[in-house]
Amino acid sequence: MIEAQALSKRYGTKTAVDAVSFTVQPGKVTGFLGPNGAGKSTTMRMIVGLDNPSGGRATVNGLPYPQHKAPLRELGALLDAKAVHPKRSAYTHLRALAATHAIPDSRVREVIELAGLGPVAKKRVGGFSLGMGQRLGIASALLGDPQTVILDEPVNGLDPEGVQWVRRLAKSLAAEGRTVFLSSHLMSEMALTADHLIVIGRGRIIADAPIQSIIDGQGAARVRVRADRPQDLLGSLAADGVSSQILEPELLEITGVEPRHIAEIAVRNGVLIYELTPIQVSLEDAYMQLTSQEVEYQSRSLPSTGLLAASSEGHRA
Amino acid sequence: MTTPATTAPTSALPAPRPHPRHEAGSDVSFGRVLKSEWIKITSVPSTVILIIITTVVMIGLAALLAWQTTLSLNLEGDPEMAAQMQGSSNAASAGLGIPGSGLAFGQLLMASLAVVLIASEWGTGMIRSTLVVVPRRSLALLAKQSVMAGISFVVGAGSALVAYFVVQPILNTADLGFALSDDGALLHIVNTGLVLALVSIFAMSIGTLIRNTAGGVVTSIGVLLVLPILFTVFGAGTEWVADAARFLPSSGGDQMVATTIAEGAFTQWQGALILGGWSLLLLTASLAVTRKQDV
Repeated sequence: MIEAQALSKRYGTKTAVDAVSFTVQPGKVTGFLGPNGAGKSTTMRMIVGLDNPSGGRATVNGLPYPQHKAPLRELGALLDAKAVHPKRSAYTHLRALAATHAIPDSRVREVIELAGLGPVAKKRVGGFSLGMGQRLGIASALLGDPQTVILDEPVNGLDPEGVQWVRRLAKSLAAEGRTVFLSSHLMSEMALTADHLIVIGRGRIIADAPIQSIIDGQGAARVRVRADRPQDLLGSLAADGVSSQILEPELLEITGVEPRHIAEIAVRNGVLIYELTPIQVSLEDAYMQLTSQEVEYQSRSLPSTGLLAASSEGHRA
Repeated sequence: MTTPATTAPTSALPAPRPHPRHEAGSDVSFGRVLKSEWIKITSVPSTVILIIITTVVMIGLAALLAWQTTLSLNLEGDPEMAAQMQGSSNAASAGLGIPGSGLAFGQLLMASLAVVLIASEWGTGMIRSTLVVVPRRSLALLAKQSVMAGISFVVGAGSALVAYFVVQPILNTADLGFALSDDGALLHIVNTGLVLALVSIFAMSIGTLIRNTAGGVVTSIGVLLVLPILFTVFGAGTEWVADAARFLPSSGGDQMVATTIAEGAFTQWQGALILGGWSLLLLTASLAVTRKQDV
């Protein structure tokens, strides 16, 4: 279990993490989702004690991580796949880490096989691809057979097989009763892996809820309707206080009313309906809605060419 | 376990252990971190090669000096002159300082290696792996310092001891041979190792403070080998500069391996206090700074 209490990190006047509080529970995969620069990595680094918090505190299984007698047994972390000396082999790298906790060589070989690094274990890490580096990082995170696992962007650089492996691994670790905390800026990844979601933007927690309730919480259900007399249908629905949009002459998008109710009204008014589609809000939509105000590096759309053409300085641009 | 992870990654998982704290015998201890650092140092081939080269060259330099000393003696037939070359007041002690005469070269390499070992942790990002596994930073740093200091001592004292046996047949041709039991002979050999150990602590502390290989190497070599030259140049006319030069870390090291102590000069033990003091000061500073900084 990981607990953060009013955890803050400031660099000069810039606040990277702003008094975040959350709990990561054992037995499920908790996703840590946010745009680049939102403070995900900084928060994770504070949890393992690499960064000193400017305020607040973080505990792992009840104690600040550095105070554990056998830290690797409590928490394993993949924070940076490149945190390895390039001239060492994967095997000696893991053996050096294992030696600090008297973890036997048999366990080192076990995690090497587990991560699928067997064929390259004796090769220099410097020649590893990003994906193999990720696998080595995950192997080192599992070395101490820890109760809590933190993985920062674990699927970065992995091939499709590796991505699936990480998903299954995260789920099986959680199924064993471990605490699994993994970050990503890819909502599609989270939708497939996480049970619970903590969304961070500009150093603040925007949402902390089960993944389904985050999807559900984003706006009322929308229904797409194709009807021959849309105006008549809308007139009858207006009484119910629902909002609607006419997208095409015979295509409507209606928000705030159940599909069945729309069909009933249509029948009552003799309106022909030839499409009635409930629109599922995806996690992606929910995420975009949640973080639209919180994106650190927002891409601005370029000025339209029409404006440029109208401008006398257009040719210079 | 030979099952490829690609086919059965999940089934390869170990049984759940929800309360790892109850497992005994896997606490982090200084001895275990020492072992980890030993694995790290010995698993980078270039490090091992450098250590071997340093040892061989230190022995070679001693043999070369012994040969040169006897050669000039045999040519000139003047023991006094050879003795002066060693800065000794009599011919009998001329040979005593030869076993550790490769020390300056040894310092250059071992100081550089000490800087590289710690600065490369930051350079490669390895420090983050290291400090996640051993979050008590002083423990991690002290273990690395100890392993490097231990290796440096063995390189220094070991090469001086081997050099002692290598140079005896050469020195004997000019009647300069001496026994290990001779006054100051063993102390010189042991102190050659001690100087290298203290210098490695000194340099690794600088490397820890600067966190950059090039900057750390330049700074430690500058302080150990260039600063004394500057002090000699500027100390020629100014007494306080010459006086201050006696307290340089390199001066302390020089006195530690001296086989004769000039009138008014520091003894071997005083030299050890000076070099040891500098090393301890920088070590303390490096621990204090690393404790507070983000990595």
